[in-house]
Amino acid sequence: MIRDSQLFQPFGDEPISLIGESGEWKGTFDLDLGPDALLGMYHDLVAGRMMDERLSRLQRQGKLSFVAPSAGHEGAQVGVAHALRRGRDWLFPYYRDTTLVLAFGLSYREMLGQAMATRADTNRGRQMPSHNGSRDLNIFTIASPIASHIAPAVGAAISMKIQDNGQVAVTTFGDGATSEGDFHAALNFAGAQGAPVVFVCENNRYAISVEYNKQTGAESIAAKAHAYGMPGYTVDGMDVLASFYVMREAVERARGGLGPTLVETLVYRYGAHSSSDDDSRYRPREEVEAWKRRDPLQRFRAFLERRDLWDEDAETELRSEIDEALKTATAEAEAAGPVPVAWMFDDVFARPLPHLEEQRRDLLE
Amino acid sequence: MSSQTMVQTIARTLDQEMGRDERVVVMGQDVGKRGGVFLATEKLFDKYGPDRVIDTPLSEAAIIGSALGMAVHGLRPVAEIQFSDYVFPGFDQLVSQVAKLRYRSGGQFTAPLVVRMPSGGGVKGGHHHSQSPETHFVHTAGLKVVYPSTPTDARGLLRTAIRDEDPVVFMEPKRLYRAIKEDVPDDPEFALPFGRAVVRRQGEDVVLVSYGGSMAETLKAADALTEQGVSAHVIDLRSLMPWDRETVLDAVARVGRVVLVSEAPRTAGFMSEVAATLAEEALDLLLAPPLRVTGFDTPYPYAQDREYLPGPNRILKGVKRVLDY
Repeated sequence: MIRDSQLFQPFGDEPISLIGESGEWKGTFDLDLGPDALLGMYHDLVAGRMMDERLSRLQRQGKLSFVAPSAGHEGAQVGVAHALRRGRDWLFPYYRDTTLVLAFGLSYREMLGQAMATRADTNRGRQMPSHNGSRDLNIFTIASPIASHIAPAVGAAISMKIQDNGQVAVTTFGDGATSEGDFHAALNFAGAQGAPVVFVCENNRYAISVEYNKQTGAESIAAKAHAYGMPGYTVDGMDVLASFYVMREAVERARGGLGPTLVETLVYRYGAHSSSDDDSRYRPREEVEAWKRRDPLQRFRAFLERRDLWDEDAETELRSEIDEALKTATAEAEAAGPVPVAWMFDDVFARPLPHLEEQRRDLLE
Repeated sequence: MSSQTMVQTIARTLDQEMGRDERVVVMGQDVGKRGGVFLATEKLFDKYGPDRVIDTPLSEAAIIGSALGMAVHGLRPVAEIQFSDYVFPGFDQLVSQVAKLRYRSGGQFTAPLVVRMPSGGGVKGGHHHSQSPETHFVHTAGLKVVYPSTPTDARGLLRTAIRDEDPVVFMEPKRLYRAIKEDVPDDPEFALPFGRAVVRRQGEDVVLVSYGGSMAETLKAADALTEQGVSAHVIDLRSLMPWDRETVLDAVARVGRVVLVSEAPRTAGFMSEVAATLAEEALDLLLAPPLRVTGFDTPYPYAQDREYLPGPNRILKGVKRVLDY
């Protein structure tokens, strides 16, 4: 339901932030999340960070070809995932959403299987790492072409509206994506249709090396929402609660038939664009270190500690539990074995066409 | 049976399919109250309303991209691109998302949708209302491509396209929209399979292979050949992905001489694929090299609209070369 008085006003001058530097609650409203919900968020933040580290390690060991690290984006991603109904709403993510897809239900084994292109990948080894997807979880399989998944999210949302089934579509993308024509095409159509979709920009201020002020002259990404007839919010994306509460409002708005929202989350990419990038060529180390001081995990941990919900023992226990689960999942994903060569010719069409069968035979004989 | 033009039968087939399956929605620019600029969606808006006949913004990327999202979410969208010349802003959606979705998701997600597009020249529209870009789609793994030339085929193939589990690019030769009127089966289950060519004329001396708009000129050339005492065997491919290699190979194996007619530009055009297949599969049965008679490798011109197209005279010249070889 849409509340009579909304918690946040769109197009504000300052990014919306609810947790202070030392973990203090800064909200002007009462926190309505119980310990389970809060600890669930913290679990997902840590799990995403640890998966990210593991993927990078596996990449360095030569077990996978590529990784697009998501460290620094976790606050926004966990906020998004927890504002949705898992298994009911739909997610159209992009390739820096490791934490998001895990928090939306993807298993470690599935993610690692995808990264290593083994039989544990339900996408059957068809894409490079960091490109997950799951029909069972309503996670639209990630594609590399920037912004190409945003119009599909709008189409799904229009279908939801036509079917009037109370679902919501959420799509995420980086700041670079907002320069693509498809970003405009999608938001424009969503606005005209009043489609139940939330657009989430994970603005880390760099599209590989091109910084924000070369990407756009707009003072914020959120400002672009105005022209499409939808509210736009700028949020501190390294603050999981700010991300969650703004997303919850946007999702409720969509679910209630009030149309789309654009949410800009300000985040920072700790690592390079990918394992193939060298960010020291374009980012001063001091800048990276300054952003790390706003770390979403540390801030939220401080928040929990101030409320006596967390301590060092709990931290150690959580990390060792996740580490164990990741180890097991890595072993299982690897043991599933590589996808067979013959699979190359499957799933081009619903049923195999003769010329593809002929090519399969040519290759295998 | 009732007598209909191609554009009438497209509207009627859409109506039948929308009546049969409420997941079928029509979308595109001007498809609503206007009924489409060619009237291919005439009267659908009044009957099915704005939720199922969706006037979209002027954005091909939005049309094709959102059609994909609708299909993924359970609808059966039939999107209209007003002219195939305008598909290119949506080309990335077709190539990167629509064509590859089944493959890249390991079969988890599929894109059962149709993109209809009036195509081809002969309407004095210049290069931006006349092109025949089928090769782009055929060359993109994951798309099916059909290009009917008669009202009956348009009906049968459009029905198959709408019910197909794969994305289909449905190309409509706009210069034939109203050129032919014929009795079309009204049976709401009448459908034609993809990948099946049809023989339009039986003949012994030369095989003419074509599809889409160029079928009209190819049949005229065949008639002229009959008057000259040359018997042409005319094949209408109808479907380009998949395409009916057997029907073409069988005819060429029997006759030995073949002219391949398409209005699309020659270099790397679809007929190059047919010629290459003949060279690989039937070289020792050929009495003359396969000859392409096609549009030229220029942008489609305005003033020379008719000369660009492979008309009967150019086809006859090609046949003479093949017969004289």
